[in-house]
Amino acid sequence: MKKFIVMLFLCCTFLNAAHAAEDMFTFQNAQDQQRFDTLTTELRCLVCQNQNLAESNAPLAIDLRFQIYKKILQGETNKNIVDYLVARYGSFILYSPPFNLTTFILWLGPLLVLLSGLGFLLFYLRGNKQRTLHVDVA
Amino acid sequence: MKIRFLLPLLLFMVVIGILGRGLRLHPNVIPSPLINHPAPAFALPSMLHTGETTTDKNFLGHVTLVNVWATWCYACAQEHPFLLEISTAPQRDFMLYGLNYKDDPAKARDWLKQHGNPYQQIAIDETGDTAINWGVYGSPETFVLDKKGIIRYKQTGPITQEVWAQTLKPLIEKLRNEA
Amino acid sequence: MVPELGNFALIIALAFALIQAFSPVASRVRVTLNYPAVLGQFVFLSFAMLCLIASFLQNDMSVVYVQEHSHRLLPFMYRVGAAWGGHEGSLLLWCLILCGWTLALLIFSGKELAVMTISRIISLLGFISTGFISFLFFTSDPFRRIFPLTPAAGEDLTPVLQDPGLIFHPPMLYLGYVGFAIAFAFAICALIEGKLDKNWAQTLRPWVIMPWSFLSMGIVLGSWWAYRELGWGGWWFWDPVENASLLPWLSATALLHALIVSEKRNAFKGWTLLLAIVTFTLSLLGTFLVRSGVLVSVHTFASDPTRGVFLLAYLALVIGGAFVCYGVRIKHFYHPPAFELFSRETLLLINSVILLTAVATISLGTLYPIVLDALDLEKISVGAPYFNLVFLPVILPLLLLMGIAPHVNWHNQSFKALWKKLRGVFLLCVSGGIALPLLAGFEFKWLASLGLAFALWIMLATGQYAYQLWQQRKSVSWQNAAMIVAHLGIAVLALGITLNKAYSEERQVKISPHETVILAGYQFTLEKIAETRGPNFKSETATFRVQKNQGTPHYLTAQQRIYDSHEQSLSKPGIIANVWRDLYLALGAPLDNGAWSVRIYYKPFVRWIWSGGFMLLIGGFLSLMNSLSLRRKA
Repeated sequence: MKKFIVMLFLCCTFLNAAHAAEDMFTFQNAQDQQRFDTLTTELRCLVCQNQNLAESNAPLAIDLRFQIYKKILQGETNKNIVDYLVARYGSFILYSPPFNLTTFILWLGPLLVLLSGLGFLLFYLRGNKQRTLHVDVA
Repeated sequence: MKIRFLLPLLLFMVVIGILGRGLRLHPNVIPSPLINHPAPAFALPSMLHTGETTTDKNFLGHVTLVNVWATWCYACAQEHPFLLEISTAPQRDFMLYGLNYKDDPAKARDWLKQHGNPYQQIAIDETGDTAINWGVYGSPETFVLDKKGIIRYKQTGPITQEVWAQTLKPLIEKLRNEA
Repeated sequence: MVPELGNFALIIALAFALIQAFSPVASRVRVTLNYPAVLGQFVFLSFAMLCLIASFLQNDMSVVYVQEHSHRLLPFMYRVGAAWGGHEGSLLLWCLILCGWTLALLIFSGKELAVMTISRIISLLGFISTGFISFLFFTSDPFRRIFPLTPAAGEDLTPVLQDPGLIFHPPMLYLGYVGFAIAFAFAICALIEGKLDKNWAQTLRPWVIMPWSFLSMGIVLGSWWAYRELGWGGWWFWDPVENASLLPWLSATALLHALIVSEKRNAFKGWTLLLAIVTFTLSLLGTFLVRSGVLVSVHTFASDPTRGVFLLAYLALVIGGAFVCYGVRIKHFYHPPAFELFSRETLLLINSVILLTAVATISLGTLYPIVLDALDLEKISVGAPYFNLVFLPVILPLLLLMGIAPHVNWHNQSFKALWKKLRGVFLLCVSGGIALPLLAGFEFKWLASLGLAFALWIMLATGQYAYQLWQQRKSVSWQNAAMIVAHLGIAVLALGITLNKAYSEERQVKISPHETVILAGYQFTLEKIAETRGPNFKSETATFRVQKNQGTPHYLTAQQRIYDSHEQSLSKPGIIANVWRDLYLALGAPLDNGAWSVRIYYKPFVRWIWSGGFMLLIGGFLSLMNSLSLRRKA
């Protein structure tokens, strides 16, 4: 029932008139291929929850890959495709969490920790130097 | 004693608190974003009335339990006897609606003949596309719909006596008494 | 009979652990009891482990644990590995290794410290042992039996675990995790006593380096195993359990460096003690995460929240106590800093800050879903895209520092002098990062050039340092060699990771026999695909001929296996590897007309990743040689 739009890629070198294998998912341009790769690696498989959609061989993952493939061919934007899936499965399906009020600590946290750690260190070292200096002088 | 020397302890206690709370959660159960939304529209062939089409309009006017199942699903077979029990009980006040998920309809019919049919209506979703619209990711799953066809609860995993008594039965009562 | 003996051995081991922990306060008695208690515990835990392995080799299905993880057709090698393939058995391994480290400490460093000090350390380790053996015996007994005898076949070991990696990866990891208990006990003892031996840092260092080396190797082995086994050429997934193994490694790296400062400059005492506590805390947290069911992971053992509660309570007690001890007693070790703002001491402190930021970052990402779920907010996933994005800016400054630090003087360094020394190398790296990929025929990619520049930076700056040493002293000490090799190892690792990520290519195709697919200039032709049999599986084995232009053909085989026990399938990839690249192929599913879906990968510089990890092991070994030579001098 799944229709493939099959295009044989003509390769620059043939090997003894051997037949060339066909890609499972073929796209009109490299950009679409890239979009497919990015989307499927950044979405979580809901059955094998430790794999992304690109890697998982669960039947649902295979189905969802084809859905994404069809939608890219139909010209849907990345945002539309992601929204379609989130509307059905929730934020859980996103391996890259959204940036909103509940997750801004998650995204900004690391940088904040690094900067405050370095800042604290700086003040601490400076501060102690000053104190021992004063003690020497006094 | 300087306060900053107690910071590691405080931080540690926060982490322990989080982990302790985490022990009571179920990290692999995905909540449904369709709760309090109308059931996704569909039109699928009916298994029980060959040639007919069943749609989401079937849900209106009564409380419905939509049960996603398949013959290849081991847990569904385990849930089956309980479904028969609640379906054949007198004073059943809901419709048990089956969604046959990515299955062979002939195999499914045979299976039901062999083991008994608890469903009042069954939709055949061979490709699984409709199930995707419902956010199905495993089976069995059961959706509880109110009289207006709005999804009010999703049960992931088989319905057991405990789940029925503690969650589903009271919910169905409540929905039945709603306008 | 054998399981009963094993069970009995556990009880005796527990008794010894109790003696080790609670030996009477009267110091002479305690000291006399140390050796026998530890030795006794070790002997009986070893015996218990042997009993468990024997049960597996005999396929004694009356033992529940054997029934759950073995099968009558399972090859011998994997039966041994299966002994620690599940929760109960791996916990026994944990206890055994803890006791092993305690014994090693007693034998090799027993005479280096004051008698009461070493005795207290052994006693503290005894407390930890007691806790874990109790947990093992009362909640997770591997020798639990079921009577009457159940069906003889067995549940079988998960196919993914049926790989040589099972023999090496868990023991290596545990040698790492558990080894940090020694530094932990050291620190607590020091805090309790309120003083530190003159040579404490020198004594402690090998006991931090050795576990660190083992953990490094264990993590790399795990990655290599995942790469060979999982079918899509990935080797790190930011899986919660993987993260749990990385956290103590990061903290231990910080500890290692702080310890060097403690040894050389007699500074950082308080900080080192804190890091020692934090590292073992992270080890225990990792142990908890794998067994409690709190996180979803492919690595978790069958999770049981009740066990999780016990473990968490134990953790809270031990580590909570440790942090209270720290809070109250640290003032005895606190020293205001006696060095200038720009000095090697400062750089090493920044090293700690960055590594602990990395720990905080990974912990945040791993625990965040739990926090949101606990607060009844959304249920989100935090995966590889997040970690990759967020980890990089944290770790890059560290790579920069690695090149700089050896050139920076202790106590005080002029920034101008440093820049003058290193600016040549700096420019070389920036240009090399941009030019080298282009010269090698790859297209320009930001990330690749950035990573390459940093890797080159470490290599060249460290090389310059080595050269400088050679010129000045005509020799390189063990310690210098250790640092050079370990840092170069990181550089090789960074290079492998960046270039692999940037320049990998893949194709998913439908292929029939005699068809060819081309990837990255290589031609893959499916020669034949036939059914074969393995010891406990049947498989469809595909043979591919791989050729580049008209060069020599190579052959690889890939299998789609179905294991006899429960019809579970596993795709075993075929790999052709050399120094510069791996060619990787995994079978998918059979399609119509004899065609198969197949995934093919071109993975450059993969061997560099494993080699980098191996270099860390060598660096650790060199540092051990340094510790041994220092002892000989003393």
